[in-house]
Amino acid sequence: MAKKIWQQQKGNFLQLLRSGDERAFAEFIDKYKQTVFLCCRSLGLRQDEAEDVASETFFAAYKGLRWYSGQAQLSTWLWSIAYRQAVNYLRKNRRKWQLLTEPNEQVAQNQERGPMLAAQHSEEAEIVWAAVERLPRLWAMAVILHYREDKSIADIAKIMKARKNTVKTYLFRGRERLRQLLAAPLEEDVDVDR
Amino acid sequence: MSTDKLAQDRFDEMLAQALKRHSEPVPGDFTNRMLRQIREIQEQKILARVTLQQRLALAACFVFGGIVIVAATVFPDIAASVIRSVTVNVTERAESLIDRIPQTIKAFSGEWQFYTILGAVSGFAIYSLVELFIGDRVTIT
Repeated sequence: MAKKIWQQQKGNFLQLLRSGDERAFAEFIDKYKQTVFLCCRSLGLRQDEAEDVASETFFAAYKGLRWYSGQAQLSTWLWSIAYRQAVNYLRKNRRKWQLLTEPNEQVAQNQERGPMLAAQHSEEAEIVWAAVERLPRLWAMAVILHYREDKSIADIAKIMKARKNTVKTYLFRGRERLRQLLAAPLEEDVDVDR
Repeated sequence: MSTDKLAQDRFDEMLAQALKRHSEPVPGDFTNRMLRQIREIQEQKILARVTLQQRLALAACFVFGGIVIVAATVFPDIAASVIRSVTVNVTERAESLIDRIPQTIKAFSGEWQFYTILGAVSGFAIYSLVELFIGDRVTIT
């Protein structure tokens, strides 16, 4: 398989992106589309809404690349754009309230994955993800950024435009809620294994 | 290390691993669709810029014409003297040019070979410059 531009010439990749190189931008989309969709879906957007917001995010990134200083990681920068776009979308549609509520109804909406994809995941990952989907969206976002994306508290605070202490609270509460939610199903799993 | 801390670390590790295994469904043609949309937007931008330039040029013509009309109405004496001096100058120069034509023809007929070569070289130079700067824009494929 041919190596991608960003793998071959990491330093040059940003320059190529800034110069408007189409191949480099295609690779940029390929590399980060999963991240952007994850951000949108984590904030409770439906699949069709996530597609719209992901498009807006990549447009904004395309326009904003020339002002990207390179101080923050490219992924952190893109996460912050995706987060802003998704929250703006919710605000426009008068659904911002759902960021801090327990999304019982949304869980049902979010189970739109096909059987192929479900088969690819281990059962444990599915159980954990189902539990994350039951968290208030801001807690879920903090948990995903910290545990999945390995982002620091400072980076998460930048992405979510929140104070570090607020992020710590989201993480603490999210983690505790997950422990409660996961205690039963994972213990059942352990019993079955025995 | 306490058992509580150990359990917490194991929970964190399990959480991180499980979340990293999760992936969201992304439409297969998303990248191509994005690139196509970006191209369309760029084309629209270029079109909008050209339209704006044309509108500005047209507006400049109207404004300049308006200024001339207003100036001629408000300061008729100044406008008349300016036009008169321009007309006189142009007429004098045209007359002097017409006077020079027989002399030029006489000089040209004496050294027509030299002027023919000079004309050909100048023509080729102009053609090369036009080709160099706007050749790819006027080529029809």
